[in-house]
Amino acid sequence: MADDPNRAPKHLGADLVIPVLAVIFTLYYFSTIWNSPWTAQVSAFAIGGVLLFICALYFIKVAGQFKRGEGRFTFTSLINFEDIRTGRVALLVTTIGFCWFIDELGFTLTTFLFLWTSMAILGAFKRLGLVTIVSAVLALGGWAVFILAFDTRFPRGWFEETMKVVMANG
Amino acid sequence: MTKLKMNRRTLLGTGLAASAMSLATPGILRAAAYPERNLSVYIPTREGGGADRNFRAFSSIWKDKLGAEFEPGFYPGASGRVGYEIYMGKAEPDAYNLIFGNMGPEVLNWAVQAPTFDINDYFYFGRVDTDPGCAFVGAESAFQSIDQIVEEGKKRTLTVGTSRMAHPASIGILALGEATGAKFNLIPLSGGKNTVAGAVTGEVDFSVLTSGSVISAGDSVRTMLVFGENKVGDALDNAQNINDAFDMDLPEMLSSRAFGIHKAAADNHPDRFEKLVSTFNATFEDPALLESYVAARGTPEYLNRGGVEECGQFVKDMLELGERYKPLLTGA
Amino acid sequence: MGDAAIISTVFLETIGYWWVIIPTIFLGLIVGGIPGFSAANTIIILMPLTLAMDLQMGLVFMVSLYCAARMGAGIPAILVNIPGTAGAAATPLDGYPMTKQGRGQQALAISFVASSLGGLLTTIIAIAAMPLLARVGFYMHSVEMIVVMLFGISLIASIAAQDMLKGLIAGFFGLMLGAIGTDVVYATPRGTMGFLELYDGVPLIPALVGLFAVSEAFIIIEKRVILTKKGQEAMENPSWAATFEGVRDALTRWTHICWTSVIGLIIGVIPGAGASIASFVAYQQSRTFSKTPEKYGTGHIEGLVAPESANNGVTSGTLVPLLVLGIPGGATAAIMLVVMQYHGVSFGPSLFQQDPKVGYGMFIAMAVSYFLMILTIIPLSRYMSRVTTVPTIYLAPMIISFTLVGAFVPREYMFDMYLALAFGVVGYIARRTGYHVAAILIGVILGPLLETYFLRALKKSEGDIMVLFSSTLGNILWVALVVSLVLPIVFERRRKKKEIVIQ
Repeated sequence: MADDPNRAPKHLGADLVIPVLAVIFTLYYFSTIWNSPWTAQVSAFAIGGVLLFICALYFIKVAGQFKRGEGRFTFTSLINFEDIRTGRVALLVTTIGFCWFIDELGFTLTTFLFLWTSMAILGAFKRLGLVTIVSAVLALGGWAVFILAFDTRFPRGWFEETMKVVMANG
Repeated sequence: MTKLKMNRRTLLGTGLAASAMSLATPGILRAAAYPERNLSVYIPTREGGGADRNFRAFSSIWKDKLGAEFEPGFYPGASGRVGYEIYMGKAEPDAYNLIFGNMGPEVLNWAVQAPTFDINDYFYFGRVDTDPGCAFVGAESAFQSIDQIVEEGKKRTLTVGTSRMAHPASIGILALGEATGAKFNLIPLSGGKNTVAGAVTGEVDFSVLTSGSVISAGDSVRTMLVFGENKVGDALDNAQNINDAFDMDLPEMLSSRAFGIHKAAADNHPDRFEKLVSTFNATFEDPALLESYVAARGTPEYLNRGGVEECGQFVKDMLELGERYKPLLTGA
Repeated sequence: MGDAAIISTVFLETIGYWWVIIPTIFLGLIVGGIPGFSAANTIIILMPLTLAMDLQMGLVFMVSLYCAARMGAGIPAILVNIPGTAGAAATPLDGYPMTKQGRGQQALAISFVASSLGGLLTTIIAIAAMPLLARVGFYMHSVEMIVVMLFGISLIASIAAQDMLKGLIAGFFGLMLGAIGTDVVYATPRGTMGFLELYDGVPLIPALVGLFAVSEAFIIIEKRVILTKKGQEAMENPSWAATFEGVRDALTRWTHICWTSVIGLIIGVIPGAGASIASFVAYQQSRTFSKTPEKYGTGHIEGLVAPESANNGVTSGTLVPLLVLGIPGGATAAIMLVVMQYHGVSFGPSLFQQDPKVGYGMFIAMAVSYFLMILTIIPLSRYMSRVTTVPTIYLAPMIISFTLVGAFVPREYMFDMYLALAFGVVGYIARRTGYHVAAILIGVILGPLLETYFLRALKKSEGDIMVLFSSTLGNILWVALVVSLVLPIVFERRRKKKEIVIQ
């Protein structure tokens, strides 16, 4: 796997994100089955119980490390200046934008804009011609497969409507 | 499991697109003769299943009577709930959007847990078929008759596979238990395929299911009892009607596919609704319908026309049954 | 006509359809490689075409599509960490590390050989032992399946070995996420955050592509290409030698291919069980009996051979209950049933009396497809592996759009795209902070299956937990499970002792 679990746990804050998420989710889950029949509860309580227990052990361990000065309560291993420089934050923003705008702009146009913006940002706005060609080819390929051939329920927008009219008349 | 489209369905997608389109249509055009474009049909089950086959067989005849194509959109999930929620929440109530559902199990859903919309805001107007539930064993089962099953059920609790708890066939077997004193423990095996497999491999003592699925399971199973009239005879091993066999007075436990529509659409566009109903009826009078069902390997014996009234009565019965058996079906 | 005569006639007829099989293989590779697509939905899309073919051609078409799609799912799993289906979820564990080391071409060749040989071998076993294999489903009921699931889930503990607490947190967090959805008995909604789309549980493809691929896309942009430095050097001079090396690597492990594919076959014949279980169980077993378990997850050849031969073993396995009992072993087999019924073939115990040509024909079509796949696909690995040299500035956005689109396709709900993105963010946080995404994923995939069997067993016994130990076969499996958990620890101790003695 890509992960390296041996990374020195200096940024204890970041390491706590997953267990804290797990605890919050488990407690929320329990709240939804509190008054349910036993079939809904039995395995969830068992798994959730173990999960809460391991998380508690982990919190104790981290508290110990923190006390001994082996780590600080920071999040730098999760997010730091480097993430902005490499364009990672920007890529996250364009990805969210992709999901956000696809409903309004339609599948093909949004895919093109997402690919173009992401590639342009990651490539520091160099070789824009190539970026434009690659994005256009991929977006059109996607349109041909998902809209034209398989007629999936992807949102239609300006491009799909225009093409529909064009194809109907020609 | 995954699924995809087999024919062209333009624009029925998110419903948002559909409503945007209808808003964009100039008012003059809308006043034109109905239908002036294709109809969207929301199907709350998976593509390639029984509802799909049934829909295609029926709509292939109906479309000529109505003069417009029917474009199916499949919205499976949560035992049909997702499809109804999308239909009621996002489809425009303009008589261009219909739902094709199963009045049996899907209406039982509402009795068990109410949806977010008011269930009186839509109604079924065209019943296509009625398919009774039945009880069956695997080909290698030691049980030879329903009497043997009931006898055994009086000695020990028998496990009964069912596609899900809130299903007319489940209610049928619970009613048999009540009438005879036999003890049955329903085991939901999620889906017809697994319910057949459960009976065949001996995971459960026997299973109950919509008879259409049992017929297509062929000789890997033997039918013991039908929760309604056995219209197909040998295809269901000449199994008896529960009411005849045990001298009971149970309403037929049916799966029943029907077209439904927003109440608002029927109220605001009575002319359109009238056209839908009259062409629906005309479809039943066309002998081509039977041929279409035979060609699609359906069970033509189960074709059974019903109008607003019959459907309304059916829904009412289902809701009552659901209410009566709610503790057993929900474990509450 | 005797069985042998029928088999040889059908064999010759099937070979005559090579012109159908070869294009279908390429179609299958493509649909298998796109996340969200599968053999089952492709057959549905092409239903008008399938129904128009005569019975035998339709059968050959469906079977070769099925086999090729299964193999195709491994390609993006190996090259860009995107498992196209749940059945390929164990493939990237060792396949992707190999790619990063510049051995993508070898990895593809290994996967193709393991898949084809595994598929071919299990097909032959299935023809020979069909009546016997069909009985497996009669003994593997919910109690036994609980133990089989635990074999797969115990992988979490192996993966977690380096940092036990973090690994277990990831695994149990995955199991908890997998528990989202209605309970299988009374359909009570649980942990759904009000989304109807989650009533049937977490949809697998969005979880799969989100955790593995989307999170990976955010990681890889650190580097110019996904390859390591050494990997780049290795990829600089593409040659056929790397393909031959992969073929050789796989062939020398033929015993490994044999027994892991048989695991797949046996799990495949159990109705309802599937490729995802088989590949995880095969991977876990392979690791347990390995002399070098610590190498798994770093690009170890056996770690790639095991899941790939197992999931192709499942392919032949799912046909057995379909042909002998009339109950399809999986989604694709269920679609085949519909098509065959359309042609008037009725499945079930009488099939081999009435239509022996159909019965044997399906397996023979499978064997021929696997054989033709060896010849047609292996040469392609050289070209496919070039994808890894594409700079990440292009590759990362492509992976993201490709996978988000793939997440949408199976159910066609926009919700599933958002869900894949959410899983991508969780996966990214997990990777950056040393939690294994594979552990989360095993929980999400196998958790709901385990719960289904567990509740079914409990409901049958009306709540008596001792039902878990109520069957002889189940108890044997429990002992085997304990042994397979303890064995690696014993091996490890012994090895350490030896090392100390040597020092």
